[in-house]
Amino acid sequence: MLSITGAGISMVTKTGNRGVVCATDDVSARIEDLQFTLGEGPCVDAAQFGAPVMIPDLRTPDDVVVDRWPAFIQGADAAGARAVFAFPLRIGAINVGVLDAYRSVPGPLGDGQLRAALLAADAAALALLHIDTASDDLFSDDVDARSTYQLQVHQATGIVQVQLGVPTEEAFLMLRARAFALGRPLVDVATDVVARRLRFSLEDQ
Amino acid sequence: MSSADVFGRSDRDREQLLAETFVVLADTLVDDYDVVDLLHQLVDACVNLLGVTAAGLLLDDQRGNLAVVASSNEETRLLEILQLQSDAGPCLDCVRSGAPVSVDDLEIDQARWPVFAEAAMSAGFRSVAAVPLRLRTETIGALNMFHGAPHPVAVNERRLAQALADVATIGILQRRSSHRSAMMAEQLQHALNSRVVIEQAKGVLAERNGVNMDAAFTALRRYARNHNRKLSELAMDVVRGEIDPSTVQTGRRAT
Repeated sequence: MLSITGAGISMVTKTGNRGVVCATDDVSARIEDLQFTLGEGPCVDAAQFGAPVMIPDLRTPDDVVVDRWPAFIQGADAAGARAVFAFPLRIGAINVGVLDAYRSVPGPLGDGQLRAALLAADAAALALLHIDTASDDLFSDDVDARSTYQLQVHQATGIVQVQLGVPTEEAFLMLRARAFALGRPLVDVATDVVARRLRFSLEDQ
Repeated sequence: MSSADVFGRSDRDREQLLAETFVVLADTLVDDYDVVDLLHQLVDACVNLLGVTAAGLLLDDQRGNLAVVASSNEETRLLEILQLQSDAGPCLDCVRSGAPVSVDDLEIDQARWPVFAEAAMSAGFRSVAAVPLRLRTETIGALNMFHGAPHPVAVNERRLAQALADVATIGILQRRSSHRSAMMAEQLQHALNSRVVIEQAKGVLAERNGVNMDAAFTALRRYARNHNRKLSELAMDVVRGEIDPSTVQTGRRAT
């Protein structure tokens, strides 16, 4: 199975500004830069539509409507990329940024690579969310990674957002921080919030 | 010969309902539809047509878990039973094998998935069935049905459930992104993230309007329908504070 040649992460800040966080090599950096400069490309679409955008071959017009990203396709190809895969760093309405991976040869991602990329995107989304709070203890992983996919967690996020009058991303972090502080699984704390057994108030924070 | 079903409906009534359901689904698919909304119509149809007590739809999240995208009610208990199946349960077996799985009576057949069976029975379910969401060789999820009483699945019930599951598969995979035919991973992840946005919006509505999750979801769906909005786009507006939660609950358009 062909592996990924390089990857980059760009971040969307609360004010809507975007910036490149990291890139593993020059080609990745160029792919990120191109999309910022041009305002077009798989990364831009992934962020906008909230779903991955996979281009297994930049030179196969079947896969890409060339009119949509004419300059990006040309530029990425010239930089040495043949396949580009963009994964939104998203938790529902929370939009943190995009993970871009590229390969110098064409071809789709295998199932294992797709899984690895999605898990990497999940981890990157959480990591970027935590950058502000500088609370990296939350990664020591008492918080079950699978909790992210449990619906009560997201219902509770919405509830806490209203209780505290904070943005969604902060509500999500508060919920995680509370679970960590209590030494309880995130999904259990979320279930208590949904069942109205636990309320968040500003004084507690 | 006509036989009444659990709702006391005749064969003719059921045929009428079946025809109406598929007309509505076909209409949805040719229009610009919201995936999660469509999947909810499907689980509702499953309850109405098959007379099951509860139904849910799980998708392979492509990270090694099964994620709930639609359920016939919003009770946390049902969500938990559905979610448990990432570890073991009929849906996991169904997704792995690509074949239907059913247990007529969980009390007799507990050993297969002990944790799942216990949780399901304590929630009042006695029988469970799952049919795959399948496209050619790929299985992307499962439609899960529960009965409150022991229930052997009849051939025609399984066929109807499979037909509903097939509509779900088509609905998830044929939605085109605005610019090109998208790939399976893009479609699945889109559906899964849409569901998360909707959950966040339900939380906002429930807290702001002092209602439960079911009422919040009903209001969200009703408002989307009445104002010709896509459910997940409306949900996004709710979470981002771009629409007043009370107007969604009362159904009146913001002025």
